[in-house]
Amino acid sequence: MNTHTINFTVNDRDLTVTVPAHQTLLETLREQLQLTDTKYGCGTGECGACTVIVDGDKSINACLTLTATMEGRSITTAKGLVKDGKLSAVQEAFVSETAIQCGFCTPGMVMKSTSLLLKNPNPTEEEIRKELEGNICRCTGYDAIIKAVQKASSSLQFTNAAE
Amino acid sequence: MSEFSVIGKNVPKDDAFEKVTGQAIYAGDINMPDMLHGKIVRCMEYAHAKVINLDISEALKLPGVIKILRPEDVTQKTYNTSAIDITTPEKVAAILGDLKDQRLFTDYVRHQGDAICGIIAESEEICERAAAKIKVQYEALPVITTPEQAVHPDAPQLDERKDNNRAFQLPEPMFPKNSYGWGDAESAMKEAEVIIEDTFYVNKQKQCQMEPHAYVAQYDMRGRLNCWSSGQMPKLSHIQLSELFELPMSRVKIHQTTVGGGFGARLGLVFEPETCAMAMAMPGTPIKVQSLREEDWVASESRHSGNYWMKMGFKKDGTPVACEAMFKGNTGGYFTHASGVPFTTGAWLAGMYNFGALKYQGENYFTNLAPAGAYRGYGNPQTNFVLEQMIDRACQKLDIDPMEWRMKWAKGKGDDCWTLGVPYSSCELPECLKQGAEAIQWDDKRKQYAKQTGTKRRGVGVAVMNHTSGASPMILEHTFCTIMLNEDGSAMVNIGCSDIGQGANTVLHQIAAEALGFPMDDVYMKTSDSDANGFDIGAHASRTTFVGGRAIMSACGDVKRQLFERASHSLDANVDELEMANKNIFVKHAPERNIDIATIAYQGVYQPLDPATGQPEGDPGQIIGVASHHEKKNSPPFGATFVDLEVDTETGEITLHDMVLTHDIGKALHPAMCEGQMHGGAQHGLGMALTEETYYDEDGLCLNNSFTDYKQFGASDMPKTKIIFIEVPDEHGPFGAKSVGEASLVSPIGATANAVFNALGIQITEAPITPEKVLKAIQLSGLKFN
Repeated sequence: MNTHTINFTVNDRDLTVTVPAHQTLLETLREQLQLTDTKYGCGTGECGACTVIVDGDKSINACLTLTATMEGRSITTAKGLVKDGKLSAVQEAFVSETAIQCGFCTPGMVMKSTSLLLKNPNPTEEEIRKELEGNICRCTGYDAIIKAVQKASSSLQFTNAAE
Repeated sequence: MSEFSVIGKNVPKDDAFEKVTGQAIYAGDINMPDMLHGKIVRCMEYAHAKVINLDISEALKLPGVIKILRPEDVTQKTYNTSAIDITTPEKVAAILGDLKDQRLFTDYVRHQGDAICGIIAESEEICERAAAKIKVQYEALPVITTPEQAVHPDAPQLDERKDNNRAFQLPEPMFPKNSYGWGDAESAMKEAEVIIEDTFYVNKQKQCQMEPHAYVAQYDMRGRLNCWSSGQMPKLSHIQLSELFELPMSRVKIHQTTVGGGFGARLGLVFEPETCAMAMAMPGTPIKVQSLREEDWVASESRHSGNYWMKMGFKKDGTPVACEAMFKGNTGGYFTHASGVPFTTGAWLAGMYNFGALKYQGENYFTNLAPAGAYRGYGNPQTNFVLEQMIDRACQKLDIDPMEWRMKWAKGKGDDCWTLGVPYSSCELPECLKQGAEAIQWDDKRKQYAKQTGTKRRGVGVAVMNHTSGASPMILEHTFCTIMLNEDGSAMVNIGCSDIGQGANTVLHQIAAEALGFPMDDVYMKTSDSDANGFDIGAHASRTTFVGGRAIMSACGDVKRQLFERASHSLDANVDELEMANKNIFVKHAPERNIDIATIAYQGVYQPLDPATGQPEGDPGQIIGVASHHEKKNSPPFGATFVDLEVDTETGEITLHDMVLTHDIGKALHPAMCEGQMHGGAQHGLGMALTEETYYDEDGLCLNNSFTDYKQFGASDMPKTKIIFIEVPDEHGPFGAKSVGEASLVSPIGATANAVFNALGIQITEAPITPEKVLKAIQLSGLKFN
């Protein structure tokens, strides 16, 4: 089997993995590294449950990304947003706005929202909705999620980023 | 200031922190030492076929493949995933005639996705590669996809126990003349001055819970079958697996994992039987089965599609003299919920309006589509699409405002609810209609939209609904609960209710804290463990807050009774002289005589000796409150939805503008979670009305088993939404609460269809109302929009 040895960073940890050429980043995270905070929802890039952030602010679907293409890249998952046991501003807002029901889409939603706010700290409601179109939630009807993103947008972390 | 300390407050959900960081463990996230992987090999080529030959030899040669289970390698017992037979009394179950017609693996394929065999291998990938090497020779059989085809004289018979593929009809003697209702509808219809009649098609909607079904099972070295499952009825799964594998319940354990959405998809069993069979074949070894989304779609249950005929007669003043209706459901390849849904579909009809007479008949037919089963609303969405459009059609003919007609003729307090003979205990539907109409600006918009020109037409529509809070008295509603006090005075609530994401644990936690008078942090919820938890029927029929809440309140009452008794001994006072505040019990007229709950609890556990007297302090024994709560009430909620939308008559496209959701909730115990239910329910309801259907070709093969080809509403598709809760406490509900879970899905369907009717003057009788159907209906009507 054709394998590749890849050096990359996951949640600030430098890692080396040897993976088959066809292995997706989702499989590497969940099966090889046992980081199960990134979820499998469809495997076809439609639901966004596997959204992770690459190189600081770009969101990607881990189910459509081959690990072999990740050499030298830096991956952040929902767990990686927690610093010193403290939730990120987006995570805090998801909790306080009750934007979580079954929670299966939540890590992906949080990553997508974080990536949006890093690029655009003050998005309009329409921009938030547009950005989240690739992330399906079957529980909340999106309303609380939109409010959480708006709330996080006005938090210190993103106000500073906007300056 | 609120009379409550935590009820009515938006406390953080119990599971919010682990979910927002991705640390919550769903079944598919479980990894164990020596764990193997399983795959269910399914027939994807045919919807109806016999397996002539199953050749597993090449697959077995693949390195990493451990074992392959064929139909002859597993128990020959049959089962029914729905668990309805467990929840009804034996005599009722016999009358309903539910079939146990499912097999672990089969050589007779009754729908695409039926399970043929099971592979156990070292990895999921090896399982997939092995599956490709399994050679199955099929003999294709003629396929039926609709109830009409099912009754054709030449149709193949799917189960010889049910003639003409009719899996179910409302049975005598429970339903005289195989019908549900009151009065003599046929005779009453003769008195009608205006009669309308039509047949509608309701669609096969898929629950689309975000977590595809996944399980881990282990038959451990003590001979206990362990199943980690995200089922929404863990106790019933416990019973079902115990029966299927002929093990006492003490040798089966269900570990309910975090549940990635339920919506009915996980009522009873799904793929637990296949996973457990693999585990039983490999004693000691945990086996994980992760289903793919496309597989989950074709092999697990959906909403019942079907044909729904309805006829209504009115006096010219709007008096509804009679309603006759017949629902012919498509139950798919197996029986599952074939008896439940055709009953409730009519029950919601019976619960809605004061017709002079009502005759409803419900049937269900076997076909070769994926089995239909439970889906949030359980028959109510189907009825809403049909009933609410019929009412608006009548109102147009009668020249009566549909809002006013509903205000006058909808049922209310004291009328029979969905279970005829059981009166509504409360009803705030008139207030829902009034406040909803104001919020959407009903009168202005109806006037304004009546004089439109141009190719784009606005419409505003209303629909109402009734639902239930638990399935009493039709189905067993029993919840067992214990509340144990730790020696520091904190409490452990042990209850089998099922949190499927709706926030059951959080609201039950609130109820326990409020009823005990303890802070939230001093109460811990022990759930999801069949070894520890007693009976609870599981999450269905919007029951958990209502029934589980009342069970908890009863157990809390037991705890407080014991605390007060012990305090009366310690304080040398009568119980009725005592009061409790801040976890301290004191004598009302002499508050300096008081004792902390923590002290009473400590004394019960440690029985410390008083050094002065040498006698033990307080009363002995750890305090535990118990409730085995059999619920007799079902306090149904009502609701009304208003939708304002625009139809492009050139493309058929529908754009939603505004929606107002009103709900007769009794009391919103956690307003943000209740709003979450409303918004989320509407996402399903709007989808059912406008976009969602699982399509099959004439061979019974699914055309859209993926999120790519099945359109559900995304963040940009949702209309601007206002939610109005009418909070008038129900006399039975915990702190006055009635249900909100399923109800929220229902009336957005009828309101959307009626808004389209208001925009075009045409009704679309097939759900979902897609642009193609709109254009076709416009063309057939001959109407011009310019």
